[in-house]
Amino acid sequence: MLMPKKVKYRKQQRGRMKGKACRGSELSFGEYGLQALEPCWMTARQIEAGRIAITRHIKRKGKLWIKTFPWKPITKKPAEVRMGKGKGDPEFWVDTIKPGKIIYELEGVTEQTAKEAMRLAAHKLPIRTRFISRKGRELR
Amino acid sequence: MSFKIKAEKREVFGKNASRRLRREGMMPAIFYGAQNVNIPLTLNKKDIFMILKSDTGENTVFQISFDSEIKDAMIKELQRNPVTDEILHADFIHIAMDKAIRVSVPVAAVGEAVGVKTEGGFVDFINREVEVECFPKDIPEHIEIDISNLHLRQSFKVEDLVLQEGIQVISDPETILVLVEVPAKEEEIAVAKEEEEEIISEGEEPEIIKKEKEEVEEEAEEEKEEPELIKKEKGEKKEKKEE
Repeated sequence: MLMPKKVKYRKQQRGRMKGKACRGSELSFGEYGLQALEPCWMTARQIEAGRIAITRHIKRKGKLWIKTFPWKPITKKPAEVRMGKGKGDPEFWVDTIKPGKIIYELEGVTEQTAKEAMRLAAHKLPIRTRFISRKGRELR
Repeated sequence: MSFKIKAEKREVFGKNASRRLRREGMMPAIFYGAQNVNIPLTLNKKDIFMILKSDTGENTVFQISFDSEIKDAMIKELQRNPVTDEILHADFIHIAMDKAIRVSVPVAAVGEAVGVKTEGGFVDFINREVEVECFPKDIPEHIEIDISNLHLRQSFKVEDLVLQEGIQVISDPETILVLVEVPAKEEEIAVAKEEEEEIISEGEEPEIIKKEKEEVEEEAEEEKEEPELIKKEKGEKKEKKEE
């Protein structure tokens, strides 16, 4: 599971996720990509599940890039614990995804394979996404 | 084929005015590079589409007219909405037709590599553009590279490019453009699957980076503790003596 090796502080405040992704919204390595259309906290488990879905579909061919990393620790209080007595312990790791962020990039496979792989990965994610490619960019 | 675009000088600024413009099918733009003066413009979005749909795409040199002036220009930058792909704003740069300019030209692979055909590899584009210097009239649509002779683990570098006269490459000659990569071995996939199946302990926490100051303070505290202990011991000894 993805998580940082070292952190400066164990716990973080929640923060906000308004606006669109200014960075990481263009294809930088691969020919095809999966782009987020909604904001969310994407957990390390979800990212990993998507990765497994893609690698199993493309089998030995192609190259995959994961463009997101869960930097943010999320804390939780144990069950049946009264409020107060400080913040809970870190439970899992997430990345704050904003609309436009590219989550995966693929290279070295046909468009059809890439589309199907991204469709399978999209089912593992908590948000609406879209498949993008370098060639098929509409002018609006 | 030379394009001509009509634009008007823009008097209104800010996001409200820009949004109003976009609703009417127009878009804000800026023109610079001539006499170091920035000229805000308004133009029809369809004109930009026409340029982008042309063979040379963003590297097209066109004429832009405003206030009875006609100038040669190129697209320097386009701002897009990352979600809807709508073009929000364009930067145009003035081009002197008698001066060489630096542009990034896309690379297009021709042919199927031997490494892909018979050896089971796949083509990986490491860099998709090459920076070249040439006169505006000589800017190529794309640079074709023949990758049909590439075997597994072989690459096509910038130094291998064959260009027309008048085009000079600026990119580092050692830069790799295309690489025929070896797919992951079955053993590696098996190892990866095992890793996937491993039960991952969620309780694990990353190491916390401490500031140097804190570390020094901690050490100092440890040092302080020791003398206290000694005092206590001395005190105990005194008590014993009194007894």
